[in-house]
Amino acid sequence: MNTVLKNKPKVVEDVWIPSACTICYGGCSIKVHRVNGTVVKIEGNPDSPVGSGRLCAKGIAGIMILYDPHRVNTPLRRTNPEKGIGIDPGWKPISWDEALDEITTRLKKVREEDPRQLMVQVTTTLAPSSLIFFPFGWAFGTPNMWVAGGGVHCGNGAHAAGGVTHASWSIVPDFKHCNYAIYFGAAKGHGAGHAATPNIALAADARERGMKMVVVDPMCNFAAAKANEWVPIRVGTDAALALAMANCLVNDLGIYDAEYLRDRTNAIYLIRPDGKYARDPESGKPLIWDTQSNTAKAHDDPAAKNAALEGKYEVNGEICQPSFALMKNQLKTYTPAHAEEITGISAATVKRLAREFGEAARIGSTIVIDGVTLPYRPASAIFFRGAQGHKNSMYNCFAVDLLNHIVGAADVVGGTLGFNPVSYGHPETGRPRYVPRADKDGLMATGIWLLPHVPYPAAEPRKPDSMGFCEMFPLSHVSPLMASSDQEHWWKQFELPYRPKFLLNYGANSVMSVGNKEAVVESLKSYDFIASFDLFLNEFSDFADIILPDLSYLEVVDPRPNYPFIFNHPAGPGEWGWPIRQPVVEPIHERRSARDVMLQIAYRLEMGPEINMGINSYYGLDGPQMLKPDMTYNMDEISDRELKHKFGPERGLDWFKEHGVITWPKRVEEVYWRTFLDVRIPIYHEYLIELGEKTMALSKKGGMSFDPAYYGPLPEWLPCKSHEVKDPDFDMFAFYYRDAIQANGFTMQNPWIDEVARIDPFSYRIAVNAETGRRKGLQDEDIIRLETVKGRRVAGRVKLTEGIHPEAIGIAACAGHWTKHQPIAKGKGVFFNDLLEIDFENTSPVNLNLDLCAKVKITKCPGAKNETAALEMDLAPV
Amino acid sequence: MKDNRYEQLIADLRSDYRPQREWGEGRGILMVIGHFLVGVAGGTWLMASIYGVIYGLMVAYVLAALGALVHLMFLGRPERAIKMMRHVRTSWISRGFVGLTLFLIGGGIYLAITLLGLTGIWRALAVAANVMAGIGTIAIIGYMGFCYTASKAIPFWHSPLHPAIYIAFAIRGGIAALLVIGAASGQLASDWLLQMWTGVTALVTLFFALEIQGALSSGNIAAKWSVRDLLAGRLAFSFYGGTLLLGLIVPVLLLTNSASNSPVVMAILGVASVSGDFFMKLSTVKAGVYVPLFSPARRSHAS
Amino acid sequence: MRLGMVIDLKRCMGCYGCQMSCKAENGTPPGVFFARVIKREEGTYPTMRRKLLPVLCNHCTDAPCVKACPTGASHYAENGIVDIDQDMCVGCHACMVACPYNNRYFNDERRNYFGDEGPTPYEMERSERHPVGVVMKCNFCRPRLAEGKDPACVANCPAKARIFGDLADPNSDVSVLIKDRGGYTLHPEAGTSPNVYYLPE
Ligand SMILES: Nc1nc2c(c(=O)[nH]1)N[C@H]1C(S)=C(S)[C@@H](COP(=O)(O)OP(=O)(O)OC[C@H]3O[C@@H](n4cnc5c(=O)[nH]c(N)nc54)[C@H](O)[C@@H]3O)O[C@H]1N2
Ligand SMILES: Nc1nc2c(c(=O)[nH]1)N[C@H]1C(S)=C(S)[C@@H](COP(=O)(O)OP(=O)(O)OC[C@H]3O[C@@H](n4cnc5c(=O)[nH]c(N)nc54)[C@H](O)[C@@H]3O)O[C@H]1N2
Ligand code: SF4
Ligand code: SF4
Ligand code: SF4
Ligand code: SF4
Ligand code: SF4
Ligand SMILES: [Mo]
Repeated sequence: MNTVLKNKPKVVEDVWIPSACTICYGGCSIKVHRVNGTVVKIEGNPDSPVGSGRLCAKGIAGIMILYDPHRVNTPLRRTNPEKGIGIDPGWKPISWDEALDEITTRLKKVREEDPRQLMVQVTTTLAPSSLIFFPFGWAFGTPNMWVAGGGVHCGNGAHAAGGVTHASWSIVPDFKHCNYAIYFGAAKGHGAGHAATPNIALAADARERGMKMVVVDPMCNFAAAKANEWVPIRVGTDAALALAMANCLVNDLGIYDAEYLRDRTNAIYLIRPDGKYARDPESGKPLIWDTQSNTAKAHDDPAAKNAALEGKYEVNGEICQPSFALMKNQLKTYTPAHAEEITGISAATVKRLAREFGEAARIGSTIVIDGVTLPYRPASAIFFRGAQGHKNSMYNCFAVDLLNHIVGAADVVGGTLGFNPVSYGHPETGRPRYVPRADKDGLMATGIWLLPHVPYPAAEPRKPDSMGFCEMFPLSHVSPLMASSDQEHWWKQFELPYRPKFLLNYGANSVMSVGNKEAVVESLKSYDFIASFDLFLNEFSDFADIILPDLSYLEVVDPRPNYPFIFNHPAGPGEWGWPIRQPVVEPIHERRSARDVMLQIAYRLEMGPEINMGINSYYGLDGPQMLKPDMTYNMDEISDRELKHKFGPERGLDWFKEHGVITWPKRVEEVYWRTFLDVRIPIYHEYLIELGEKTMALSKKGGMSFDPAYYGPLPEWLPCKSHEVKDPDFDMFAFYYRDAIQANGFTMQNPWIDEVARIDPFSYRIAVNAETGRRKGLQDEDIIRLETVKGRRVAGRVKLTEGIHPEAIGIAACAGHWTKHQPIAKGKGVFFNDLLEIDFENTSPVNLNLDLCAKVKITKCPGAKNETAALEMDLAPV
Repeated sequence: MKDNRYEQLIADLRSDYRPQREWGEGRGILMVIGHFLVGVAGGTWLMASIYGVIYGLMVAYVLAALGALVHLMFLGRPERAIKMMRHVRTSWISRGFVGLTLFLIGGGIYLAITLLGLTGIWRALAVAANVMAGIGTIAIIGYMGFCYTASKAIPFWHSPLHPAIYIAFAIRGGIAALLVIGAASGQLASDWLLQMWTGVTALVTLFFALEIQGALSSGNIAAKWSVRDLLAGRLAFSFYGGTLLLGLIVPVLLLTNSASNSPVVMAILGVASVSGDFFMKLSTVKAGVYVPLFSPARRSHAS
Repeated sequence: MRLGMVIDLKRCMGCYGCQMSCKAENGTPPGVFFARVIKREEGTYPTMRRKLLPVLCNHCTDAPCVKACPTGASHYAENGIVDIDQDMCVGCHACMVACPYNNRYFNDERRNYFGDEGPTPYEMERSERHPVGVVMKCNFCRPRLAEGKDPACVANCPAKARIFGDLADPNSDVSVLIKDRGGYTLHPEAGTSPNVYYLPE
């Protein structure tokens, strides 16, 4: 290394700046090394529990995003009025003044006409920093906001279920104490999911400690690679397996935690023949059966300690049963043999998994943590994208989670933890503080949530006012109707009194991230005007009218990259950490921070009081730190107030810029809160019945119909649309998964990441079972085409593997970019989403989750020069 | 921008059986050409010395000088070539470099004195220079095979027969060169050269067959992969067309069918033989496949 | 002191963090990975296993690359580190074909990650470290060691699967782990005495 020493230029500056990553929504704490104004290294910040000094490969590669010469440098205006895929918008640089003038003029008009004509779209990548966009929408007066592909893919089921039973956005095993974890389509601790990177070390510790891990997944993916056992499952059938396991536990093995069920769930609530709670005629409270006095008592009566879990009792002149008894009975239909038929997993395996899980839970055992004796249930069942990404997503999630509640392994030591649903705040300020509480029926409502909708108690369904109809389906938080092929039809049917006119986009690439591009593009074409903040021109920008060059995460301030803690702060014992994001380099070119620009737009629109109040409520600012209605602020000032509000006047933005992060210890009653809080969770989702009735009645008015089976109080197995395809040519279930090296569609343009992905055997290939492939005459690198019954096609190259279910096809990430503005990303990998229908048919009628698997036939394309050619060829199936 | 070497590197990093490309592809071809030229030079010098063919010595010298030049062109930093003398204790390249230097200096002086017809004390110097060139000759003939054999990373090369093959090649090359020179100069071209050619060729063929047999029976998967590449894979063309056809079949046909030892036939034979040698070197160098870091127990394709 | 590394395959999840942190630390040109991860599989459906193998220079005690090097550019530096003196290297590739682990790279020409767009400010900062015409490889992050830090790939490994230390000290973490967990090296038949060990899954 002599050359280095000889030629080293004079160092005038050499600093490490603490901040936060945002290449995925994980927000890991980073330290950025800047030498003479150039970023030369990004490392983890060891002072912060969010990553503890370690980053994933993407986080390290952020330098190549910062310095990508293809970033947008100035505001751009389209000169070609015609919009379409492959049609060049004819971008022309314009000044910020010109751009902002046009945007404000148009927004003003839209707001005067009908503010609901504004649609706000943000990317999940920036979810924790989407501040301004949501308050802007509220202030503007529009209900139309969505997290592009995000919600309907990651989350409508997973987050709702997490919220209802764990008061959190997501769940994870208590890696520190768990001995047996079963994953249903999740990669937590193995490269994806919430708190992706911090969880890696925890999962590795657990593995070294001897935690047994079983991964139920159609593909031997990142988690399965490290599991003790990989259980290949037919795509979309998770509920059938989970319910059969529950059946074995409850009915065959008699393994269930009666105490937990009695004290912490509604298992003891008496259910009337119509399925609803038996209620006290006066107080309206749900009733339980006191086995001491042999009378019905209110659920919050001390007698609940002796409540019956089984039996039939006459209450208010009707024969009622505890919900547990109903569940037990209903589960009997989910025999291991049934599970075998549906999932392809042998009945013996189903039984064994149930027994192993039940035994691992050690029902009745306790452990002392920090001097407190707590239940010890070292078994955990978790789900995420894989299990939840289907039309039956709600039941899949409830069914898997039920396993935890049956053995009492929820938010206790060793069990399944919600991500930090309880916080008592910094010891000096008591902030931030939030705690779940019981609603009128004794069931848990979350202490904090990411968005205004709450999973429980769900809002009253009402006639839709928004483009996505979330009002009618209150368990959803976003809706595919925002970009569906049948949106106009439904809008007409439900007499939506306006049409979208203006789309304001913050980063999302919805043309690629939601479903088939035709549907999304059609929906985009209906806007009069689209303004988009992004770092790059992408497939979405081809439909924008004005592009606004944003600053990257290395150039902006954010006072709370990891708050609310229920989202991307590592769960389980340890420390709390509140880091900030701060600029590590000066902005160059005409780039500006989207959030400051949005504030300016709001003030220009004379929405000052509304937006300031919106921010106050979003951040929970009060007292001296509250924004005043008639003042104008920038993000630095707002950040300063937010930080002082949470950590005291001496710890404002400057303090955080210097220190990067503040930490304090987690308390045992925060981590293992279940034992400490007097709240119950539903194992019997009684509220769904009424919700279903109301939603059904409302939706019927517009001619929308769905199977009421989705709204039963007990989870069931219901098929995906893909399971209903009977044509034998269409014999494969295609699905996608997160590539540990990619973050959705965004990182494909990063040349460091692209290089690794090209060397990886799977990143840019279609994974096909080796035996299936041989049967179909396929070899590695063959170009194949996948086609759905609806004629949707994608093409890609084959990678034969022993690590995938014989009926499954696995495709990594959100790939297959075609924009010329991202030459590195262009043409790499497979654009899976083009196989997906976007319409109500393919959507969960409970939470509006889009079904993300597709039944396809494989066609070999010999002679096709490339993937594009393969899409055009006329061929017979293999 | 199409950057083939980069694309190739990425593809290699993806693959299980990674071929050696440093010596033999792209600029690496210069290494093979260099070895080829220097090998023929060594063999020619040797044969020409034994039979006192001054043209042979001259040709050998020119070939060696060319070889040295090509070697220099191959280096990433040719201006530092002199540093290559430093590790004769362990490095075969170093030994070869020293050998070549000795040869070029010694051979140069010897040839200069001889061609200028100098006498007296000069003759003594010429004898010393010739000894020096002789040592150099032995070094350059001998070292080449060891450059490859030294690499345990590439089991196909890592065969004790490799040095023997390279020595035999040098001699075969020398004979071939003398055949051509003989034809061109109208001298020589006698049966014993052809007999020697036949003998050495038989030896080379035997060594090579043994090497293939060794690779196949070694149980080493990378060695087998090399043989596959050579006999039935990406190198089959240069192996069958170059090595086998040019280097063996054509000369043997000429030998057996030609009525007379006409100079033209001898020259063609020599050229064919020496070209075959080149392809032989090229193919075996390129056939080097690294032992994979992870040997999959079962491959999903190609089975 | 004999510096060495232990990679715990039980902990490693194949995230490529090492590959990327090495790239960022060293600013290696396109196609060059002092650290990389090999992802393969073993066995047949459904009992197959996905295998992950992170590799880097083994800093062999009997390094064939050093032996093969005619100039002495490849040499044993302090504490057993095998390094390349870039001012000595002639670019003859002998070390590359000698390394049984494919851990050496030849810098044949200047390449930028964004190709014709030219080097990024980062690449301009780093490229001087990699002169053209010579061979390069992992040097256990000697500059970091000099600052008292762990190598970049070790410090960053999200799974804490990489442990760095003194193999000559029988009580060091690395030595104890190798002993307790049955650490092994790659291609022992090559007789190179690697100083990078692997712990079985
Ligand atoms: N096939 C497939 N489809 C998927 C997924 C998948 O894995 N595979 N994942 C699904 C899920 S769960 C999600 S959450 C969605 C995600 O879908 P999207 O939210 O659309 O995410 P990306 O495709 O990554 O696009 C992110 C965009 O944000 C931009 N961006 C990044 N940083 C910034 C910034 O600082 N400022 C601004 N203004 N823009 C920025 C990037 O340039 C990029 O254009 O996709 C869903 N769709
Ligand atoms: N590296 C990386 N990390 C990320 C992201 C990223 O893009 N890259 N994105 C972030 C976002 S937005 C999200 S939403 C999360 C998602 O995080 P995860 O949900 O953990 O991610 P996935 O890999 O999409 O899905 C997990 C597994 O589900 C499997 N699967 C697919 N279909 C089924 C099925 O029907 N049943 C079962 N049992 N399994 C199935 C897939 O094979 C995959 O292994 O990750 C976040 N973190
Ligand atoms: S997990 Fe996400 S936030 Fe964390 S370092 Fe990786 S890309 Fe950045
Ligand atoms: S960084 Fe660590 S966990 Fe990731 S691949 Fe490398 S060794 Fe394995
Ligand atoms: S791994 Fe290769 S480069 Fe490293 S010391 Fe050993 S032989 Fe040399
Ligand atoms: S390329 Fe450089 S380091 Fe390698 S053997 Fe030749 S001189 Fe030595
Ligand atoms: S020790 Fe340093 S140079 Fe070597 S692989 Fe690790 S990060 Fe790269
Ligand atoms: Mo997501």
